[in-house]
Amino acid sequence: MAVIELKNVKKVYGKGNAQVEALKNINFKADKGEVVLIMGPSGAGKSTFLTIAGSLQKPTSGEVLINGEDISNFSAKKRNELRLNRIGFVLQAYNLVPFLTVEEQFTLVDKVKKQNNLSRDELNDLLKQLGITDLVKKYPSELSGGQQQRAAIARALYANPEILLADEPTASLDTKNVEEVGQLFKDLAKKRDKAVMLVTHDPRLEKYADHIYEMMDGQMTQKK
Amino acid sequence: MFLAIKEIKHEKLRYGLIILMIFLISYLIFMLSSLAVGLASENTQAIYSWDTQKVVLNKNSNVIMTQSVLTKKDLKNAKIGKSEAYVGQLGMVVKHKNRDTVSAQFLGIKKDQFIYKEQKLASGRKAKNSDEVTVDSSFKNKGYKLGDKIKLNGSSQKYKIVGFVNNAKINIAPIVYGSLSTWKKMRMAAPNVVTSAIISKNGDYKFNHRNAKTYPINKFISKLPGYTAQNMTFELMIGFLFVISLIIIAVFLYILTMQKMHNFTVMCAQGIPSKTLVGATVSQSIILVAIGVIIGLILMWITSAALPATVPMSFTPTIMISGTVGMLVMGVIGSLIPIRSILKVDPAKAIGE
Repeated sequence: MAVIELKNVKKVYGKGNAQVEALKNINFKADKGEVVLIMGPSGAGKSTFLTIAGSLQKPTSGEVLINGEDISNFSAKKRNELRLNRIGFVLQAYNLVPFLTVEEQFTLVDKVKKQNNLSRDELNDLLKQLGITDLVKKYPSELSGGQQQRAAIARALYANPEILLADEPTASLDTKNVEEVGQLFKDLAKKRDKAVMLVTHDPRLEKYADHIYEMMDGQMTQKK
Repeated sequence: MFLAIKEIKHEKLRYGLIILMIFLISYLIFMLSSLAVGLASENTQAIYSWDTQKVVLNKNSNVIMTQSVLTKKDLKNAKIGKSEAYVGQLGMVVKHKNRDTVSAQFLGIKKDQFIYKEQKLASGRKAKNSDEVTVDSSFKNKGYKLGDKIKLNGSSQKYKIVGFVNNAKINIAPIVYGSLSTWKKMRMAAPNVVTSAIISKNGDYKFNHRNAKTYPINKFISKLPGYTAQNMTFELMIGFLFVISLIIIAVFLYILTMQKMHNFTVMCAQGIPSKTLVGATVSQSIILVAIGVIIGLILMWITSAALPATVPMSFTPTIMISGTVGMLVMGVIGSLIPIRSILKVDPAKAIGE
């Protein structure tokens, strides 16, 4: 069973003449241990896809299944719980809480999610893998773009989610860093058994993907 | 609480300025409240020290003791028991050749009645003869001593201070306790005049006559010259300060919340519950107010200790507690205003930002 599956998902914004169909009958699935790329130009519907797959908003119609359970009609509170427990986000601008050190970003997760977070040893392993062990006492403003990106990944994984969603994770990285981040996502999928979904228009990430979907005008087609 | 404390510690200048504002407001509230209570106390100290429940005055005195005169005829049927005492009040000037001149209130009392018997002396003894007086302790601050011979209203007669009395102020003036006969003499009253008022400790005491009426203590106090106007002025100022503090807290927190909306959106997208974000905002407000108020309390305590005793300031535990609670309530109410915005955060907006 796919860890995440979208069946005939539609998303319509606006009403009447202002109506826009952002997603048209999307069918998609991803398994643990896979890196799936969702590519496409700006305005193709990638972000809308990510918000629905990540349970940030409800689809207009269709089903969104997480481990076989339809979450498309979950209340805001249940969707919140789902995101906290089972979905990790790495957002475009890294989006660390600016007044918390890297270490405190994990403490915040501990405050709201008491169980099934990474153990101290697991966290240390992850930080080592990400190469940010020495940066835990620093605030986001004291980190470089690449370091912030890694810290954001560590925070997303700290809650031990099954699914990791990343929005344009290489948007502001140079080629060397893109290679490192691409390999990192691949390692996270394989070694930590996560379903990693990357929404990007960066072709440099293609070589790390198990599957590639292309979005155009709200429609999705599988390329690989 | 975690988010609130971490943010305050990280943004020291920003939150320091808010704390400064709250401290200044709370300091002003404590200062005005202390002055209000201090002045009110100096209006009524003596009345409360007698444990007064009822006051009998001349019906035409407009409930003001200095304007009241009760004659033998008026009091013919009045029952004067252990809980009742005559008081003759007269405003006067106290002079001594080597001391500051003091505006005071002379109260003539009878030796066989409870006000004389229950006088609480700070030092010295009670007056035994009509040429002896006891005076409020504040006379000591103006250099008066036991044994000083004072003149009242410039009369040639001298009166010896034989005791200092605690809590002896009325109408914001220190009291000179003397005999009722001295009061009659000073007032140049007709022979049939007995007293200005009957003070009763008995809540059920009642004596009504064609010329006399019994008033409850609250009515009597509210009619003290300037008392109600003065208290209402202070209450109005303190009330406005609370409202101003509410507005400042609400506006600051609203602006800060709007500035942090991006953070709230991201945290909401990551599944941080709304109650955590709301809790952080409310607790942040409580922390800011608590720190501001504590600094205000400390400075107010130093101020009240440093000010001379002549300043009618009474910084009581009641003021401390009510001021602190009032400010905290304002802080919580102020923090509720930006909460609506937090609850309406759309986590989907975190994508693509």
